[in-house]
Amino acid sequence: MMSANLVELTRRRGAASTPTAVELLASAVAERGALTDEDIRAVAARTGLPEAAVHGVATFYDDLRAPRGARHVRVCTGTACFAATAGTHVEALAEGLGVAPGERTADGGLSLAETVCLGFCHSSPAIRDGETIDAGPGVLQRVLAGAATSAPEPPARSILPVPVLTEPGDWSGFRRAVTLRSSGDLLAEVREADLRGRGGAGFPAGRKWEFAATVPAERRYVVANGDEGDPGSYIDKHLMERSPALLLEGMALAGYAIGASEGFVLVRSEYPASRPALEAAAREARAAGLLGTDILGSGFDFDVTVVESAGSYVVGEETALLACLEGLRGTVSARPPFPAEHGLFGMPTVVNNVETLCSVPYIAQHGAGAYRALSPGESAGSKLVCFNERFARPGVVEVPFGIRVRELCDEVAGGLADGGGLKAVQIGGPLGGILPAGLLDTPFDFAPLAAEGCMVGHGSIIGFDEATDMRELARHLLRFGADESCGKCFPCRIGLERAHAMVAADAPVDRERLEALLETLELGSLCAHGGGMPAPIRSLIAHFPQELGLA
Amino acid sequence: MTRLTIDGVEVEVAPGTTVLQAARAAGRDIPTLCFDERLAPFGACRVCLVGVQDAPGPIASCTTACREGMVVDTQAPAARRVAGAVVELVLSELAAPPAEHTELAAVARQFGVGEPRWPGAVHPEREDLRHPYLAFQHGLCISCGRCVRACDEIQGAFALTATGRGFTANVAAGIDAGFRESACVSCGACADTCPTDAIAEVSLLALAESATI
Repeated sequence: MMSANLVELTRRRGAASTPTAVELLASAVAERGALTDEDIRAVAARTGLPEAAVHGVATFYDDLRAPRGARHVRVCTGTACFAATAGTHVEALAEGLGVAPGERTADGGLSLAETVCLGFCHSSPAIRDGETIDAGPGVLQRVLAGAATSAPEPPARSILPVPVLTEPGDWSGFRRAVTLRSSGDLLAEVREADLRGRGGAGFPAGRKWEFAATVPAERRYVVANGDEGDPGSYIDKHLMERSPALLLEGMALAGYAIGASEGFVLVRSEYPASRPALEAAAREARAAGLLGTDILGSGFDFDVTVVESAGSYVVGEETALLACLEGLRGTVSARPPFPAEHGLFGMPTVVNNVETLCSVPYIAQHGAGAYRALSPGESAGSKLVCFNERFARPGVVEVPFGIRVRELCDEVAGGLADGGGLKAVQIGGPLGGILPAGLLDTPFDFAPLAAEGCMVGHGSIIGFDEATDMRELARHLLRFGADESCGKCFPCRIGLERAHAMVAADAPVDRERLEALLETLELGSLCAHGGGMPAPIRSLIAHFPQELGLA
Repeated sequence: MTRLTIDGVEVEVAPGTTVLQAARAAGRDIPTLCFDERLAPFGACRVCLVGVQDAPGPIASCTTACREGMVVDTQAPAARRVAGAVVELVLSELAAPPAEHTELAAVARQFGVGEPRWPGAVHPEREDLRHPYLAFQHGLCISCGRCVRACDEIQGAFALTATGRGFTANVAAGIDAGFRESACVSCGACADTCPTDAIAEVSLLALAESATI
């Protein structure tokens, strides 16, 4: 829990505080399997944080809490894996390995942990055995035989005439901007492009940049939110690992536009390949003179540091993300002040989702008009979506806004792999509503989806087949919600626990009591986690009341 | 100066004043649990929710600054309903009702909270009674963060921290080995601000016990 002086303490240390306390603790766990009081004291001494505060950090993040054996197995409990197995893979693995999730064998040889999510939703279920992520048919047998193999990465394609986000970056938009245009000119172009944030909230990126650029400050920062925690989504993973240069280019452009010379990418530890890919791309960019000082003779300095989180969904919320970057517990802070005004180390900070930043190079290269024209729909630009393993052709696909959800599911993803009918889809992550098969003609865009209690969100599309038990789905989602609550605001901390208990009980669900609880979460929560978790439950109440067992 | 209306009464406040401060200065009572006027506003308990005209939902009055022309309704039905439900949730996480003299009990009386509609798991009992002046009963902790912030913002000792997350969130002294093994300077700021007696001065705890008997 961050109190005023603790935040001030980290602020004074500023960017010198990497590796962060979170990263130092994570390394200690990786090396020795569990944290000791000595580890806490050592990290406190090294970071200048109070011992109690470091202990608070150590009890917050998944990776720091569960003991680790010589062989550490992590099983994905994301929603795509749920859609694939109804959760049976977790039980089967625990039974086969002879160790329960969250436990370590007495001899310290083996440990099992649940994780949400590994981002291999195109090939569920997914299991990480040591450094190897295996997924798809036969994964259980291979892991139990100690013969895990690396699962193939998902395919990626664009259905646009010219791909924008599915091509690796070549820095041409940045070269053009930094040598030919003023920063104000670039900022105006991004505003005009109507680029809305791709992380879920859809806030106009240009306006956010303008706030950060105009607040008087000695320093400014650009932060890429790579904490793609939404189960079922592997879009930012694809961008960070397959097109890391595109992200760095987008960050450098943001830095140029707002007058920042430092950028940070916060990546998830669930994506072990993201950080090395970004660091390699940053080294290449430095060698080519595209990051560093006086870039291309322009006088503009910019460089990027990659920081890894340690397992927490709510760290994807921007104030919690900044707390994690400062090495603290990833809890949410009330806004205002918004990060654009008072962000990382107290300085104006642009926090943008990875995909948002990856859209900027195209705008810088081709202009706002060309960007807006990518979609015939209401919203500008293109969007990456990704499909789960239930579909015939899962993968990452770049699509225009305005396309119907039915076309996405049936034509782009080829319908369900088993040829059966879709029961429902969940779009945009766990905070997104659930669209039943009867509403698939809804256009894929912000306003039409919102009208059905759904959202574009992160762009993941999880298809549920006819065999899906909707009460079990509610239980799965609320368990995730309760487990991931940061614990700061009361409605979310207690309310999600209670909502989970209501649907997990072997009894009918009292509709009135459930709805009063959902309202308390929606109107009372501090951030979108508690505020948004009721959305899919509301959908299930509206469309599947009988299956939910309402009384 | 900023002019706004609170419960139909026009008030004028200095820029930066929060809605909670303005309402209290105007004699309106807004209940709170995580708020302590000596500490920076935190916005965790959501008990101070109020209605604001044209806002999409209730707002937390402790973390919202007054704006020119704002129309605040401290009795807005949605705000009161949600705040009352939150207090109900808080009572449901404790193994037993809070002691009558505590701030939590007073707030529960204000809302007229009865039997919780959402019973369920409660916090396990765990005590640290080894410190000569301070008793720590973790099972009574509602994670309002006041003790952690008082230790930091009033005393500057940094002896306390929030721990865990979600429903298991709690508070620890030092590396959770109790007050004696922490940077605690025995100032008592944590016990003074605690709204549930999760941290209490040993002497006062004894006094309260004898009064009950």
